[in-house]
Amino acid sequence: MVIVKRKELSLAEKLYLPEVLRGLSVTFRKMFEPKVTRQYPEEPLPKTEVTRGQPRLVVNEDDAIACVSCGLCEAACPAYAITIDGGETDRAIEREPKRFDIDMLRCILCGFCEEACPKDAIYMSDELELADYSREALIYDIEKLKRPKAALQKRIDYVNRINKRWQTPSST
Amino acid sequence: MVKITVNGRVVDADPTKPLIKACHDNDVDVPMYCYHPGLSPVGSCRICQVEVKQGEAPGRVVVACRTQPAEGMVVDTESPKAHATRRECLEFLLKNHPLDCPICDKAGECDLQDFTYEEGQAQGRSHEPRRPLEKRKSLGEVIVLDEERCILCSRCVRFFEEVPKKAQLTVSDLGSRSVISTFMDRPLSGNYQGNIADLCPVGALTLKKFRFQARVWNLVKMASTCVECSRGCSIQVETLRGSDVKRFRPRPNEQVNGWWMCDHGRFAFDHANAAGRLEGARMLEGTQLVQTPIEEALCAVRDALMGSKGGLVVLSPFCTVEEGRALRELAQRHQAEIAYVSPPPSALKDELLHTGDPCPNRRGLEELGIRGEAGETLTARLAAAKVGLIAGERVVELLGPERVRELPGTLALFAFECHPVASRALRAEVGIANHVERTGTVVNVDGIRGPLAAAKPAPRGVRALERHLQDLARLSPRRETAVR
Amino acid sequence: MTTLEGFLIALAKTVVIFLGVVNVAALMTLAERKFSAWMQYRIGPNRVGPYGLLQPLADGVKFIFKEELTPAGANRFMFRAAPILAALPSMMTIAVIPFAPDIVIGGKNFGALTIADLDIGILYILALGGLAIYGVILGGWASNSKYSLLGSLRASAQMISYELTLILTILSVVVMSGSLNLREIVEAQSDITRWNAWNVHAMPQFVAFVLFVVATFAETNRHPFDFSECEPELVGGFHTEYSAMKWAMFYIGEYSAMTVMAALTVVLFLGGWSVPFWPDAPWYVGLAAMLAKTGCFLFLFLWVRWTLPRFRFDQLMRLGWKVFLPLALLNLVVTGAVVSLR
Repeated sequence: MVIVKRKELSLAEKLYLPEVLRGLSVTFRKMFEPKVTRQYPEEPLPKTEVTRGQPRLVVNEDDAIACVSCGLCEAACPAYAITIDGGETDRAIEREPKRFDIDMLRCILCGFCEEACPKDAIYMSDELELADYSREALIYDIEKLKRPKAALQKRIDYVNRINKRWQTPSST
Repeated sequence: MVKITVNGRVVDADPTKPLIKACHDNDVDVPMYCYHPGLSPVGSCRICQVEVKQGEAPGRVVVACRTQPAEGMVVDTESPKAHATRRECLEFLLKNHPLDCPICDKAGECDLQDFTYEEGQAQGRSHEPRRPLEKRKSLGEVIVLDEERCILCSRCVRFFEEVPKKAQLTVSDLGSRSVISTFMDRPLSGNYQGNIADLCPVGALTLKKFRFQARVWNLVKMASTCVECSRGCSIQVETLRGSDVKRFRPRPNEQVNGWWMCDHGRFAFDHANAAGRLEGARMLEGTQLVQTPIEEALCAVRDALMGSKGGLVVLSPFCTVEEGRALRELAQRHQAEIAYVSPPPSALKDELLHTGDPCPNRRGLEELGIRGEAGETLTARLAAAKVGLIAGERVVELLGPERVRELPGTLALFAFECHPVASRALRAEVGIANHVERTGTVVNVDGIRGPLAAAKPAPRGVRALERHLQDLARLSPRRETAVR
Repeated sequence: MTTLEGFLIALAKTVVIFLGVVNVAALMTLAERKFSAWMQYRIGPNRVGPYGLLQPLADGVKFIFKEELTPAGANRFMFRAAPILAALPSMMTIAVIPFAPDIVIGGKNFGALTIADLDIGILYILALGGLAIYGVILGGWASNSKYSLLGSLRASAQMISYELTLILTILSVVVMSGSLNLREIVEAQSDITRWNAWNVHAMPQFVAFVLFVVATFAETNRHPFDFSECEPELVGGFHTEYSAMKWAMFYIGEYSAMTVMAALTVVLFLGGWSVPFWPDAPWYVGLAAMLAKTGCFLFLFLWVRWTLPRFRFDQLMRLGWKVFLPLALLNLVVTGAVVSLR
């Protein structure tokens, strides 16, 4: 059993009023100290390579989408935000997404899709802002999700660097 | 029967069947690629190797699919030696197998993938390039072959030799250039091509209709029965996200279909996915059909049947036993006659599975005492009747849409159909669930009962025929009361 | 002065004072947010208008357009009447507060800046101030919600406890001044040449001043005595079920009550419009002094709210009945003695 010994109060403390005045003096002084508020739209949040924003799809240099609609991000997504339908193409890699929807209202920006992707096709971009007038508009389709590889390069390099720590050479 | 010991357990084994079957029958997992319970064993993939501690070759690792159990044999499937050998075989098979899993349709139900995952073969030791082969080779209407993925197990070759008994495939070329090909590059033919896509242990043979349609782990699978002929093959209905049926696949059932099904039944899901369904109920008001509450349409059916003696109830042969029974009761209650449409046999009849009879539940309906009549006869009888009720999936199609349209206005026709009915005689129509949306029983040509499963939800406002008939029975006064 | 002229003068005063109070109440909502922000290293509202000055206007528009909800099982009539009952009394009490001495413009005397120069001004204030609690009690009861009911029960107990202290301290001021008329109480304190002209440092009224100020906090349901709202325990207390303009009425009531109480404190204890060391200051200086003093007390309301944590309800009751009431009684006795010995 723990016995908590309460501090014996002095007369000034028992009278309460001096302590009230002391508290008031503290808050009064704080009024003139520098503010920490960030004026958000004018002063945006700093974005680093570690920033894990909304997921975006990589479009390679040859204008082909890197995604092959394997469905692993769909399976990894803990919020069931991703829906993919595949289809055939004439390219060497025979498969590409015909439909790739991410419900941004469901997305929790966890980055599991990025981790699951075997084709380095989905990355967490540094885009964070999300606002619209309807729920439907916030279900992003493939056209809204596509980004050229260059736009995501910072994050791609970061992920590759982190992965190198535990990667081993493979015959793949 | 002989007694053998598998992993320390004494089990009964059939000496005429391979050792791998004895293992599988006793829930001992032995991997297999070239072996298939429905085909003859060849032992070409070598993945099913197990160690025989005691028996004809003690201390040796043997191929379980080419070894016959003998009395007193002691088998260890999990010994370090067996594992090591199997790993080596696996590495050899993976030498030329591309890392296509993100693209491959087989991923998720692929034996090679599963076993590689199990054995943890994440790295290969080979640094030579894989053999480049053709990735999109069409083998006819149904099948695409990806030669790179093929591990040359020859299941597909043996299937055509042993099941339809008409060889169409072979392993051509030699050594590392061996590929599966048809004779003289002729496309595959016959009604059983689809089975080789199921058989293929890897993603080399895929169905054109299923190619890149869905990831298999997203499919919801329900055990059901094929309704395309009176064989009633056991199938698995696979739906994506509760909407479209993506494939039908055979379910092993030795009494009916073994491991196979015909292409006619396999690709019959267009019926199930068809758009333009009849939703809710529609009734004739003036000259227009207008949407009405189902209850009102059912009341109209009841009133019409009660008001006339000698109505005619026409069933579809797709009606289940339960629906047939309910319709027979309805007919008896209102002293109406009852018959089902019996279309002529189709040309698809063969020796293997297809019976040529397009009525999946002919026997079930006959057992209920309902007689089948040709479409022409029935439309003629309907034209003569005052009140007609046609019920069941595809009933209009089987009666003949033209003949149904031309039915005279003197007939009051009521319909329970999946799709809107066009007829001058139509007074009311009610939408019903199709064969992948409702439960029930059908009886096949040999009298074996097969279940139907509700694999996907029916469209909004559409209920199973059985539910409508229950409501109708609740609405109708019993026969005694009617007489009184 | 004709009757018409008198009427017009009274009307002008009414309009000026009433609009003043309503605007002060609105600005107080902004001040509340601004000061709390500054005390917490934040900036506070700054988007609507310069320095966020039009924020109260935006809030008003928002309140008008918000959806009005009436809970199931609520007493509809009382549910609607309660916000009016809460806002009205505090707006009416402002009538007797004198804001400035006789206004003299161009040699013409328009009388003191007060709507009604009642001889029983203090009684009027106490009577109407007592009514304000009905809005809270009825609002809580009519909402048909347990949180609201608990909030209004607490409010009523609290008001009864602290109204006693409030009245006893006012009584000692009345004893000092010898009048129930608020203007006369101010004038009694305006002999600014005396060091102890104002009641606050007139022996022994400092104690009464402290008691009175604390009691006004309880009377207006402000921190640290806002038990009728008490978000962590009662969601929103008596106004849990209120929304839109009905809810805003409660707030207008609260802030105008604060304004009245601040003005009353100045009138009773700080010499109203009298300016230190300037005995014959013109009326507009007096008005400015009155407003400045009132502003200081309004700031005190905010300042205390964002400094002190909320009491426990039993502590509040103990403080009221066991400390404040005896002290106020003692103060009254001592005042009586001092006055009779003078």
